[in-house]
Amino acid sequence: MKDLKHLIYFEDLLQEANNELVQQAQKEGMKCIGYMCENVPEPLLNLPGIFSSRLRAPRTGSIDVGTYYLTSFLCEYSRAILERALEGGYNYLDACVTPDGCTMLNRCVENMDVLQAMGKDKPGFFFDYMEIPMKADYNGLDLYVVQCQNHILKPLAENYGIDTSDAAIRKAVDQHNKVCELLRAIGDFRKLDEPTITGYEYNVICLASYVAPKHLIMDKLEETLEELKKREPDEKPWFKARVEVVGSEVDDTDFIKIVEDSGAFVCADRFCYGSLPGRDPIYLNDDEDALTQVCRAYMYRGECPRYMDTPTMDGRREYVAEIAKEYKADGIIYQQMKFCDPWAYERMMGSHILREEFGYPVLAVDRPYAIGTSGQMRTRVQAFIESIDIKKIQKEG
Amino acid sequence: MKKKCLKALLYVLTGGLAFFVVTFTVYFFNLDMKLTSSIEPLLLKWYDRIPRNQHL
Amino acid sequence: MASKKFKTMVNPEKIKGDTRYGDLYKPHGKVRKRREWRGVGDTLYDYTRWLGILFTLGKFMVVPRNIKFFFRYRWMANYLAVPMMVDRFTQGLRGEYLRIAHEEQDLIIIDVAKLLGNLARGDRRVGNDEEFSKINVLVDENEMTAVMMGFPDLKCTSRETPSTYVPVLLNQHAVEHYLDVVQEYGLPGDVCPMPAAEAGTSIDDDAPILGACAIQCNTTCDGSLLSNGVLSRKLEREDGIPVFQLPAPLRHKEDDVQDYAAEEVRRAIKFIEENTGHKWDWDYYFECARRVNVATKARNEWLDMNKTDYPQVFGGNLALYTETNYMAICGKVPEFEVADKRITKLAEKAYKKRKMAAPEYRHRAIVWGVQSHYYMDFLVWLLNCWGIVPLTDMLSCINTEMIAETDTPENREQAYYDMAMLTEEMIMRNRTHGGYKVLLDDLFEFVEQFNADMIILWEHITCKALDGMHGLFEDRARDLGVPLMWVDHQLFDPRVVSRQGVRDQVNQFMRTVMQEEPLDPTLEILDDENSW
Repeated sequence: MKDLKHLIYFEDLLQEANNELVQQAQKEGMKCIGYMCENVPEPLLNLPGIFSSRLRAPRTGSIDVGTYYLTSFLCEYSRAILERALEGGYNYLDACVTPDGCTMLNRCVENMDVLQAMGKDKPGFFFDYMEIPMKADYNGLDLYVVQCQNHILKPLAENYGIDTSDAAIRKAVDQHNKVCELLRAIGDFRKLDEPTITGYEYNVICLASYVAPKHLIMDKLEETLEELKKREPDEKPWFKARVEVVGSEVDDTDFIKIVEDSGAFVCADRFCYGSLPGRDPIYLNDDEDALTQVCRAYMYRGECPRYMDTPTMDGRREYVAEIAKEYKADGIIYQQMKFCDPWAYERMMGSHILREEFGYPVLAVDRPYAIGTSGQMRTRVQAFIESIDIKKIQKEG
Repeated sequence: MKKKCLKALLYVLTGGLAFFVVTFTVYFFNLDMKLTSSIEPLLLKWYDRIPRNQHL
Repeated sequence: MASKKFKTMVNPEKIKGDTRYGDLYKPHGKVRKRREWRGVGDTLYDYTRWLGILFTLGKFMVVPRNIKFFFRYRWMANYLAVPMMVDRFTQGLRGEYLRIAHEEQDLIIIDVAKLLGNLARGDRRVGNDEEFSKINVLVDENEMTAVMMGFPDLKCTSRETPSTYVPVLLNQHAVEHYLDVVQEYGLPGDVCPMPAAEAGTSIDDDAPILGACAIQCNTTCDGSLLSNGVLSRKLEREDGIPVFQLPAPLRHKEDDVQDYAAEEVRRAIKFIEENTGHKWDWDYYFECARRVNVATKARNEWLDMNKTDYPQVFGGNLALYTETNYMAICGKVPEFEVADKRITKLAEKAYKKRKMAAPEYRHRAIVWGVQSHYYMDFLVWLLNCWGIVPLTDMLSCINTEMIAETDTPENREQAYYDMAMLTEEMIMRNRTHGGYKVLLDDLFEFVEQFNADMIILWEHITCKALDGMHGLFEDRARDLGVPLMWVDHQLFDPRVVSRQGVRDQVNQFMRTVMQEEPLDPTLEILDDENSW
């Protein structure tokens, strides 16, 4: 296929946490709020006057200092983020909000906080921690709302004079939805029998939407969508099997690249930083306040394994199967960042359930934060793709 | 009667003493644990033989 | 800042009987050569308590269904080692210390025996007493049982306590089989082995099946929370036992989570009422609440005593007793109130006589972090081998506040918040969650309060909450000049770090950093890898 016009631009945005659009927005006088977990409602960090930056540690090398503080048993994501924070890589942030979602991310931010890794020269800077519900129900929703009020909206209003009114939240949700709708539309090209976008390209574009101010990235997304409408697929299919990637945090585009270089097409991205359900629009009604509706949307669509109620646990696996069907996946790759406790269990459960109850071929793998050009991963994915291919041939025969 | 009582007392005392000597010997030389530790491997073999429906 | 230094205290009383404890170990052996000679009086006392323990075990085994139960479940084999566990926990103890340890240990044994008997009776595979099964509410192993404080006629039953938790205390290798099973199913070896072993027991079809319903809690960690999902799947789908998931907020020190927590407690109680047909009894609740306060008061007194030069209730026994009394008992068993009072009486008596538990006290240590479960008697070893007094441990530093114990309309509302507080601040999670202050800052406050000159920091290597504070612990200890000794372990799995591996870390630190010689050199290296 012909190269996407803005792919290199999007790729460049992923080279630094403090990318050119972040710098541009801050020059416009906007404040930048860092966060690290999908359980923080993104629209609340994109109220008028502020924008969100989901923390990544691109081009991670040594994480020795992060490992000293967190030991080698915490996931490499938390260690890499702490390392980058201590190096000054997030000095551009004006605040950092984290939920007590998983222990590791929480500890990572607490270390930044105690070590005063950032914000020393910014009087309004704050770290804040949220409790988020572990069950999706009315009580969880009440908690979510209170936590967002006390740990996001209140400090934003007090420290930076941000308008946190219902109207401001609605405006932020509108902007959020525009980005989500664009990404949904772009992502829908993955459903085609002859897809006109690769999983890698989509991963790059989707990731960029998490790390760049929304208003500055919109035009490039719109142009990309138009381009895709006219893009011609390759004459011969370039992949042997369509796979859905499921699991923990992936902000390393190399991982999707390895999977695709091994003969697969990543047709669906059900992982943190992915678009399913991270890029679902939130449609508000006028009968209820916007904050409650945003929290409800985040809570009921939450695919984080920390949700412990049976309907949500069952729902997680059903959702994976639904997506696989919708995006015509031939197999599922359950990936887990090494040392991630929640996804260690969910990977074990999900891989067995999707295989035994839903009948999908499943590959379960763990991986480092920055995978580089891992030969091991390539071999495992290749073997998986071949096994799917053989099954296909046997079925056809 | 008195003789009978004394005899009974003697039996009780002898029995008590024998109980003490035996149990204290078991206690002090850890014979109870030495016995059970020799039983454990046999038990584990037994448990291995029990059919189990191993699944999630 | 210069290092703190505690002046060595020498015991004016000679320790009677054996003092070279390492000589009692049999190389490569599972059990020891013989029991300890503690002088005539203490040996006879220990002997009588041993008889008592045998009686408890014998009473359990004379019930035919219990024998069937014994032969059905693999983990039951570990109960062969009960007397040895007591020997390990009482090593080197004399006088009041020995009596306090037995008060604690023997009561726990009786309580666990009752629990096993209940499991055998209700288990569908063994006793299959359906009516009895209906009055059982299943709870997690590491769960606060406060929501059961108002149900006098229901049994609060944990399957995980007797199948995984207690067995590792009895036999260090107890759950290796279950860890292998769960890892064969794809769980990585880098998660906490405690919930992993519980999941393994469920997968291996080795968990008794009984109960009207189950209450699960997110308890201590992400692993624990997720492991519950493995268990609940079988309970709900196969066994038809409804499960209520009780989420206790992680940031438990924050005011804005308490309404949520109290509401979850209300819902849990309602769930139990609906599934058992039993109604919440406020009289019973407040009676239990009173007993919780008795336990809290007693524990506070013991800890206050430990702040002086003559600590009396400390070590592994304190940790184990506190865990049992605080979480599993939670005011529901009157015998523990009696034991609390007896222990206090014995401790006060020893304190007045200025008694010491070892020939020398060389260091006063705060033991922090999550202890190695397969080597919970390590604290006794620390005292006997190196003269380090474990003044308190993290698991014993729990709630110090009284809860409402008088039945008034206001207190009935307060009760939900009290139960929520107890649940949120249950053992381990009260420190491993709730923000860094409760784990990091509080430790150094305790060091001051207890006049400690050393920190023993258990590093349970797969406990992410503790690992995540590793560097900050080191930085702070260095800044304050407090010697901090890391002791790595893998909680339930001695294949990763053996007991000697645990001891080696202390031995090396004491010899190289502290430049000291052991009090009892026979204990420094022990060949106990095969031991129970």
